[in-house]
Amino acid sequence: MHWIALQAQPERACAQAPSGLGTGVADTAGLADATTALGWWALQFTPRVALAGPAVLLEVSASERLFGGREPLLQRLLGAGRPAVGVRTAQASSSLLALALLQINPGACRDIDSLPLALLADAMTHLATLERIGCTRWGDLRALPRGGVARRFGAALLDALDRAYGLKPEPYPWLVLPEVFDLALELPAPVEAAPALLFAAHRLLAQLQVWLRARQQGVLALELAWEMDARRDTAARGQLLLRTAEPTLDMGHLQRLLAEHLARISLPAPVLALRLRSVETTALAGASASLLSDALRAGDSLVQLLERLSARLGPAQVLRALPCADHRPEHMQVWLAACPAGPGAGLCGVAPKTRPAQACGAASAALYPTWLLVPPLRLALRQDRPLYQGPLTLLVGPQRLEAGWWPASEQAAAEKRVGTGAATLRDYFLARSEQAGLLWIFRERLASGVQAARQGHWYLHGLFA
Amino acid sequence: MRIRIYCIFVQSICAVVPVLPLHFPSPTSRLPAPAAAPGGAALWRADTIACSPGAVRATGHAALDAQLPGGGWPVGALVEILQAQSGQNEWRLLLPALARAGQGMVVLVGAPHTPFGPGLAAQGLAPQQLLWVAASAPAARMWACEQALRCAEVLAVLAWLPQARTEQLRRLQMACSENAKLLFVMRPAQARTGASPAVLRLLVALEPGGDGLQLEVLKRRGPPCAQALQIPARNGRLAALLASSQARAGRRHSPVVPAVAGDGLAACGDMPGLQPFARVGDALDSLAGAA
Repeated sequence: MHWIALQAQPERACAQAPSGLGTGVADTAGLADATTALGWWALQFTPRVALAGPAVLLEVSASERLFGGREPLLQRLLGAGRPAVGVRTAQASSSLLALALLQINPGACRDIDSLPLALLADAMTHLATLERIGCTRWGDLRALPRGGVARRFGAALLDALDRAYGLKPEPYPWLVLPEVFDLALELPAPVEAAPALLFAAHRLLAQLQVWLRARQQGVLALELAWEMDARRDTAARGQLLLRTAEPTLDMGHLQRLLAEHLARISLPAPVLALRLRSVETTALAGASASLLSDALRAGDSLVQLLERLSARLGPAQVLRALPCADHRPEHMQVWLAACPAGPGAGLCGVAPKTRPAQACGAASAALYPTWLLVPPLRLALRQDRPLYQGPLTLLVGPQRLEAGWWPASEQAAAEKRVGTGAATLRDYFLARSEQAGLLWIFRERLASGVQAARQGHWYLHGLFA
Repeated sequence: MRIRIYCIFVQSICAVVPVLPLHFPSPTSRLPAPAAAPGGAALWRADTIACSPGAVRATGHAALDAQLPGGGWPVGALVEILQAQSGQNEWRLLLPALARAGQGMVVLVGAPHTPFGPGLAAQGLAPQQLLWVAASAPAARMWACEQALRCAEVLAVLAWLPQARTEQLRRLQMACSENAKLLFVMRPAQARTGASPAVLRLLVALEPGGDGLQLEVLKRRGPPCAQALQIPARNGRLAALLASSQARAGRRHSPVVPAVAGDGLAACGDMPGLQPFARVGDALDSLAGAA
C-alpha cells in the first residue's frame, strides 16, 4: 500500500507558500469546492480516491505500474493540469501517516514514533489528558499497555494507531464521480444585480470544467438557479437554462453566454445562493490537430458566434437562408433563426413545410435581383406609369408568373395582405429609375370575374444592387 | 506608428490641396531604399501606389484593381463604401470578389433589404454562406461586426453603419486588422467630408444615363485618384438582356417588325413596346451558344 495525500492551499497562501514537496501554480483558479475538484481530477491516477477533511487521499499501489513506477506517477501528479491553485503533497505507507506528514515539514520527520500526537485526528479529543500523562508522541502512546488505553480512551484510538502503523486495513468510502453535476454555492454577501452573479458563477463553472474533463464530456445544457432572500415578498428562486449547440468544454464561451443572459435579468430580491446543474452532457469528440501551420485559424467557431449573437440580439435577428423550391420569389427562400440551440429551432430544427431547392435553374436565376422587398412596395401611378423616385422606364418584360393557385392555408393569408387573391398572378418587368437604378417590379394580374374591370396595382419587388 | 501617421497626413494634404507643389523624392534619389526603412512594408511613397502590406483579394473589376494598392480589396483593413442610397450598388461591386473568395461565411450586418438568396447564388455566392444579422440599433450593429470579425469561419463582413462614429470605425479597423478579414462598411455619401480610419474609401454612384457604376476613390494608400472610374458592373446574362432590349427598342421604330415564333409562355399584347421575356431568353441562348 502506498498513500499520497493532497491538499489544496488557499488562494492567498499560494504566493508565499512554504516550499513543500509539491507547490505549484496551475492554470485554473477560483473553484467552488477545491477539495472535491482535486479528488475528481485525481481519479485519473487511481480509482481509490477518498476525501479526508480538507485533504484528498490516493491509494496508488495498484496503478503504479501503469504509470511506469512511483516516481513518474508523482511527477505527473505534480505536473501541470491540476485544478487547484497550489497543492501540498505527502506520501507514506498508510493514509493516516500521509495525512500527518502533510501537516508538517516533510524534512523534519525522521521517525514515525517521534511524530506529535496532535497530528493524529482520533487523538485530538484526548490530547489534553494524554499530555498530562506525559504522552506527546506516537511512540509514547504505542508504548502504553493496549488494554489500559482501550479502557481509558476507547478502542477507536487504538484502532487509529494500528491503521497509522499499517497494522490494520484502512477502509474508506471511495470517491465516485457523480453522474450529474449539481453544486450549490452560498454567496459571501447578498447580490443585488444579476450581472454580479457572474463572479460566483465563474467558480461554479471552473468546478464544472474539472468534472467534465474527468468524465471526458462536453456540456450541452446547463441550469443556473439562484435562491433569493425570502424576506422580500417575491419569488424565492429563479433559474436560467443555457444551451449550446456543440458539446463544449470551453468555459470562456459559456461564461460569455451566461453574461449575455444575466444582463437581461433583473432580480426582484438579493440572491443568497447559487446552484449549477448539468442538464445534458455528451461525450466529447476529440479535435484533430493538423501538422500544417496554415490550417490553424485563430478565432471562435461559427457556432459560438451564432450563439453569442443570438443571446444578445435575440434569435429572430440572426438569420440564415434556406432555399426552397417555389416559383414565387418571396417563397424561394426562408430566413430562419440561425442559432442551432435556441428555442424554436433553426435550420436543423423544425423543417418548414417547403421542399428544399436543388440547384437553381441557371437560365432564369441570373436575372434575379440581389435585394428583395418583403412585402412588395406598392407603387404610385402617374399617367399609367409606375413611379419610384421618379417615373420608371420599363426595359424588359413581361415575365408572367402564375403560381400559388393551390389552397395553401397559411400562405393564403400572407398573399391577401399583398393584395392579390389566393393565387399569384403577376407580370414581372425590369424597370429603370434615374435615381434608384435597375428595379424589379410587377403588376398584379387580376383573376377574371368581378375584379376584371379594375386595373392591377404595380409593386416594387426587388433591386438589382 | 509615427511613420504611418505622417503618411496619412501627407495624403490628406494631397487630397485637400491637389495643386500644392509637394516635392517628393523620386525613387532613384539617395534616400535609403524602402526595404531598409524602419516602417518596412507600412511605409510607402506618397506619389506612388503602395504595395499592400497585407493580402489582397482581386475585386473582379480590372479597372478598379489597377487603382487599388496591391491590386484588390485589402484583407484585414476597413474599406468604406459611400453611396447616396443605402443598398443601391454594393452587391455589384462586391459580389465578384466574394464569389471567388471561397468558403466561409459572409455576414451581413444591418442589411437595408432582404438579401435574395437565389439572385446571389446565381452570381456565385451560395445561400449557405450568408448570415444576416438584422439588428437595427447602431450599438448592436457595431458589436455584431466586432464579434463576427473574431470568428474563424467568417470570410467577410458587410456592415451598413449609417451612424458610425470615427472612434467606432477605428475600433472596427483594429479588430479587422487583428483577424485578417474582409470588412466593408457602407455609409451615406454625406460622410465623405468627415475623417475616417478606413484604409480605402470609395464613393459609388450610378453612371448618369447608363447602367454602370461610377467610382471615385476618395482615399487610398497612394496619390489621390483624379478621375472617376467607370465600371460596367452587371453579370453577363443581365447585361446581354439589357443590351438586346435596347436594340429592340431601337428597332421598334423601323418598319420591319421581325416575326416572332410564339412559344406560348408570354403575351405582350397588353404592353405595346415591351418585349416578352421568353423570347429575349431565346435570343440569349443563341447568343450563349455562339459564344
